[in-house]
Amino acid sequence: MLMPLVFVAAAAVPFVTQSYGLAFSISLLSAFILAQSWDWLDGKAGYTNLGHFAFFGVGAYAFAILSSKGVAIYWGIAAGALAAMITALVLSFPLFRLRGNYFAFATLALLPLFEILAFNLTDITKGADGIPLSLPRQINLLYGLLLGGALAAVGVSFWLDRSRFGFALKAIRNDEQVAETSGIRIFPMKCAVFMLGSAFAGFAGAIQAWYLGYIDPPTVFGLDVALIPIAMALFGGSGLIWGPLVGVLILGTVHDLLLTHLPVLQTTAYGLLVLLIGRFLPGGLLRTKLLKKVPFLASLAQEHHDFAPSFSGDLGATPLFSPNARTENASLVLDVQGVVMRFGGNAAVNDVSLQIKPGEVIGLVGPNGSGKTTLFNCISKVYEPTSGSIVLSGQSLASKRRDEVAHLGIGRTYQNPRPFGDLTVIENIAIALMFRGRDPLHHKQALVEAGRFAEFAGIGDKLSVRADTLSLQDKKVLEFARALASAPRLLLVDEVASGLTPTEVHRFIALLRAARDQYGVTIIWVEHIFWALAEIVDRIVVLESGTKLMEGSIEEAVNNQRVQEAYFGSKGEAA
Amino acid sequence: MDITIYLQLMIGGILLGGIYALVAFGLSLIYGVVRILNFSHGTLVAIGGILASLAYTDLGLPPYVSGIALVLAFGLFGRLFFQFLLEPLSARTPKEAEIGVVLVTVGALLMMSDIAAFLAGPTPKNIPVRFDPIELGDLILSSTQVYALAGIILLTVALHFFLRYSWFGRAIRAVSQDAFGATISAIPGKTLHGNTFAFGCGLVAIAGVLYATMFPVDPYMGFSLTVKAFTIIILGGIGNLTGSLLAGILLGVVESLAAFLIGSEWAPGISIMLLLIILVVRPQGIFGGKPA
Repeated sequence: MLMPLVFVAAAAVPFVTQSYGLAFSISLLSAFILAQSWDWLDGKAGYTNLGHFAFFGVGAYAFAILSSKGVAIYWGIAAGALAAMITALVLSFPLFRLRGNYFAFATLALLPLFEILAFNLTDITKGADGIPLSLPRQINLLYGLLLGGALAAVGVSFWLDRSRFGFALKAIRNDEQVAETSGIRIFPMKCAVFMLGSAFAGFAGAIQAWYLGYIDPPTVFGLDVALIPIAMALFGGSGLIWGPLVGVLILGTVHDLLLTHLPVLQTTAYGLLVLLIGRFLPGGLLRTKLLKKVPFLASLAQEHHDFAPSFSGDLGATPLFSPNARTENASLVLDVQGVVMRFGGNAAVNDVSLQIKPGEVIGLVGPNGSGKTTLFNCISKVYEPTSGSIVLSGQSLASKRRDEVAHLGIGRTYQNPRPFGDLTVIENIAIALMFRGRDPLHHKQALVEAGRFAEFAGIGDKLSVRADTLSLQDKKVLEFARALASAPRLLLVDEVASGLTPTEVHRFIALLRAARDQYGVTIIWVEHIFWALAEIVDRIVVLESGTKLMEGSIEEAVNNQRVQEAYFGSKGEAA
Repeated sequence: MDITIYLQLMIGGILLGGIYALVAFGLSLIYGVVRILNFSHGTLVAIGGILASLAYTDLGLPPYVSGIALVLAFGLFGRLFFQFLLEPLSARTPKEAEIGVVLVTVGALLMMSDIAAFLAGPTPKNIPVRFDPIELGDLILSSTQVYALAGIILLTVALHFFLRYSWFGRAIRAVSQDAFGATISAIPGKTLHGNTFAFGCGLVAIAGVLYATMFPVDPYMGFSLTVKAFTIIILGGIGNLTGSLLAGILLGVVESLAAFLIGSEWAPGISIMLLLIILVVRPQGIFGGKPA
């Protein structure tokens, strides 16, 4: 409701005033496009790109260079957006090797780099002289284009909150490795959102160059101006639909007052503002507790996951997913041959072979540090094994990425649960449904179906709860539901029962049994609790110091002297 | 004759690289222990250089005297900066803390360079102490730079032993490897973080004074120094002093050769280009160390 009002007001500006107010509105719109497009990478995907302004500069230069050669204005603007996009594509390769503060830092370093390029490539950029433009200043058209760009940016933000792509970004923000093992190919996603944001920045830059009629390196690549839109988005609240808009309106006004009333030390005042935002409001104004108590304003602080799930609470009669066929072409679901995983001189998994038939449940046991989780990591391609082969239903997993392996039908849980923390239960499961290999669901359908998986696993009453606020047991249940939602052929379950009460363990066993009996899922279960294993497993594999000690029934394992030694030490040894 | 030019350039690069490495030590130490990437790190170097230069030209204080005073002053500044602006952020969610640290240090960067330019003027300053140049055949070495490099190498060795054998050194290595484990071993984690930050800032003061004896410093050069230090950390590995020294020297030599071969106007861009290339080719760094 607020947003249409703001934009109607913005659209009316050229009819009301032609001088100062118009100039001010143009600067606000330009800042808004930058702040909003910046927030796609930061607020959604969790990458703080401090060099966003550099793409504004690339757009401005592309426009200015082409326009001074007589290219039409529209083509110049399009070229500005395109140039910024291509630059982002190229820079994706080095930059996405980094995360967190490192990423923020390297992107900030882009500004001085581009400034040097603009200064030194004098043949193209005219260096420090800058490029003067003598274009007709059709101010209303220019204003209309900016307003259109701002509206499009809002549209993209809404779309990102309600699309498969947006969910992929939120998964990436929380845990890239889990996003991959849930079937998301992360690099193209990160690259795409980076390019999209840069295209908008380039567009705004091209229009700015047209508006100013002149550009030189410091105006578009200076550190002091570059951080303004970012500070605005963060001040409002990064990741919130209304955050960048509120931030631009308030800080834009403050900035304008500073410029007009402060003769010296403007940068200091701005730096102080940035510092204070960082110190007191890093989550943004809209996320402050005080604001959440004001009725109207509280609705502005709506987080992306604040929506009511549409699940009826009824599991229904249809199966959660079509069960795996019992008679596979290949007689083995998993065929591990001589897998070795070395870290430096230490072989965490040393020449392990393992054959598993469809519908089997295998217990994988061994003392701490015997290589159980490392073997899981090799199978799900979290690690690339040093040598050996892993074949899933006749398909070799060599040279497969984590997301490809997930698509082929390997689902897994983690020993220390790793749900997507700032997403709700239903979103966690829905992401697996959207990105699974076997008949992936449309995001709307996935959000409904996810409720059934939660109900099946026993957390149907916690659909709208943020995953990081769940109890340990519920986190484990959620991970199991998420892994099952990917319709796996082979499920790797890592110590789900440790730390649980006997009742809870029994519930888990029932879940595993249902997964096997109803959906034909083959399971490897890493666990220390022998009585729990005894209830369900067909076979047990004992690892010790990375090698396979024995394979057989539980009784054989318990009575095996070498297994006893591995667990309790040999006879006569001091306890 | 030709080879002499290159030799001269190499030596100039090594001397330059030593100072870069020294700037990187503080950044690396702070990041390794406190997990804070201080964006205003290089700006502090510039401020230190400007202050030492003013102290020399206006008050006649020799660099080592102003150096000692600055180490203490910067250490105190670092402690307070950490205590009041950075430490309170650790109570927030990880994402908010991360953003908060970036904004606080970037804000400090903008403020410090602007205030320095306002008070001391934007013109470059240096400490004009000069000794007779050393001549080795055709090679001419600035003895100031040679002394400075010798000082840096001594400091590296001293730091190495300090970090390895002193209580403080052992404690911060423990914290950098496992902060929680260190805390339950009765190492006061928070105090240590503050002191490490202060220690890193103290190192910066030394770097600033040495820098100003060799090259002019201006209030706006800070961020490009931070970029160089960051490149060195990526090349040399976090917390790896020897790696940082080698990486610093490598960067210095590459910059000095590049300035000669493709023009000095490109020199400030070398470190960023090198950083981007390294990230693609060898993200774990050249001299081993942890991946970024």
